[in-house]
Amino acid sequence: MQTRWDVGEPEKPTINKDTEQLKSELLRLNMGPQHPATHGVLRIEIWTDSEIVAHAIPHLGYLHRCMEKHSENLDYRGVIPFVDRLDYLASMNMEWGYAMAIEKMLGTEVPRRAELLRILTAELQRIASHLMAFGTYALDLGAFTPFLYAFEEREKILRLFEEVSGARLLYNYIWIGGLWNDWTDDQIARVSQFCDNMEEEAKKYHDLVSMNKIFVQRTANVGIMSVQDCFDYGATGPILRGAGYKWDLRKNKPYSLYNEFDFDVPVGTGEVGVPGDCWNRYIVRMKEVIESIKIIRQVIEKLEPGSIMGKVPKIIKLPEGEIYSRSECPRGELGFHLVSKADGKTPYRLKVKSPCFTHTSMLPHVAPGQMIADFVATVGSIDIVLGEVDR
Amino acid sequence: MLNELANLINKNVPSAKAVVNVAAEAKADSSITVDASSIHAVAKFLRNNSEMPFNALQCVSGVDYVEWMEVCYMLANFDVNAPHELILKVKLTDRVNPTVDSIVDVYAAANFQEREVYDMFGVTFKNHPDHRRILCPDDWEGFPLRKDYVYPKNYNGMEVFPDNKMNFEDREFIVRQDMIKKAQEASSTKQ
Repeated sequence: MQTRWDVGEPEKPTINKDTEQLKSELLRLNMGPQHPATHGVLRIEIWTDSEIVAHAIPHLGYLHRCMEKHSENLDYRGVIPFVDRLDYLASMNMEWGYAMAIEKMLGTEVPRRAELLRILTAELQRIASHLMAFGTYALDLGAFTPFLYAFEEREKILRLFEEVSGARLLYNYIWIGGLWNDWTDDQIARVSQFCDNMEEEAKKYHDLVSMNKIFVQRTANVGIMSVQDCFDYGATGPILRGAGYKWDLRKNKPYSLYNEFDFDVPVGTGEVGVPGDCWNRYIVRMKEVIESIKIIRQVIEKLEPGSIMGKVPKIIKLPEGEIYSRSECPRGELGFHLVSKADGKTPYRLKVKSPCFTHTSMLPHVAPGQMIADFVATVGSIDIVLGEVDR
Repeated sequence: MLNELANLINKNVPSAKAVVNVAAEAKADSSITVDASSIHAVAKFLRNNSEMPFNALQCVSGVDYVEWMEVCYMLANFDVNAPHELILKVKLTDRVNPTVDSIVDVYAAANFQEREVYDMFGVTFKNHPDHRRILCPDDWEGFPLRKDYVYPKNYNGMEVFPDNKMNFEDREFIVRQDMIKKAQEASSTKQ
């Protein structure tokens, strides 16, 4: 009996001379600017060989709002709302970095309570930002549930910030010389309640995502950025720590009161994958949440009633000179290069060194040879915020 | 520290003519200025020397001082035992076509950073592998952060500040500011 598929010897394909002369070339694809995996309006031009990325060229500037030009026409206090809008997921840290630069030039002494509360808000904001990174990263890789878990906790932080500053996302809360508003004892009690809850939640996240088989396979050994790459490209923050290098400004060049606090600097150790891959960058963020909780608890112990605003002149005039001031943000090191003219009421030049801008410049280096899906995982793992890249 | 470093640079790169700019105010940062033609050699030396290495370039910033242009390189050493940082400066006297050597082959971080300085100040970086605008669109004219920049009245058929879409209060404000300015000028000339 002859089966349907048994049709004898396959016919030998006749080689067409024309097909031999067909050339193969790379396919050019636009990822973004409206792509869900690019966290905003990043456009990456990728040249692919079937599923494998040959080149990736980031095109920036879709969210360019001329912040540096604007600030040249604003007084020093007026710049703060603009600074908020750089990294809209970690506005408190941005404000603090800017306020610190001005305070250094001005020589203002910030009261102890204000400094402690600044650390409290900055660390809460770091947790909120890392939760966002955790949620959206899982979402990039196709898991929807962690996003909801993360937003539940993040919401509690935003509620607190809303009570304290009046806004949910863009606060204008940390002012030059101190803070706009004080925290009440009731709010502080809620913060410590949140810390207890968060520790439990963090365990849940680890069970849900960190050691999840699919998650590990998507992220371990993917998008490896070695320590040497990080130095070459000037990468900082979780990227550098994920590569296994212990460097944190809060520890190595302590600013504010950070030298009074006891906390660890988590680094990628390669328990899964190798140091410098996406999984290690992810786990560094999750461990940092726990360290931030540690710091917040110590802040609450140290809090004493007092003033929250230092002595600042009504019209701020900086002396002639320049300063480059750095601070540790959730995404890496934020730097402000400020040039002032004598008795100038506005910055003569304000340059923002944004961590994400630096990290985006690493993408063309990491991308070649990756699958497109892995490239999405790599872009997600640097936790990109376009407001900060384009400024 | 900066004096030692300046001597070290002068000893190893004689064409650098490194000078320390001591900040007038103690709170501000001091910096080192080197000759523009030697920036590549200086960067290479700073990265690879054994006495005071700088293993990372944090950012490149440009400043327009109207009479001259300045390019600042923020260098740092991410070493737990010896963390130090430096503002290295280059003074460009030609303000119309400022040109300086690119240091991308020394610090890869300079790639995007130098493109941004080109975009905003029009400083040309020689031997840059990808010398394009980065934040502004490719067809943008002029360099926005120069002090003598005048914003265009029209971009790709779009009018900037069209009369029918201007906020009335804004316009009031501008007119009032102009009046105040004129009054102030008039009073100052009287005196």
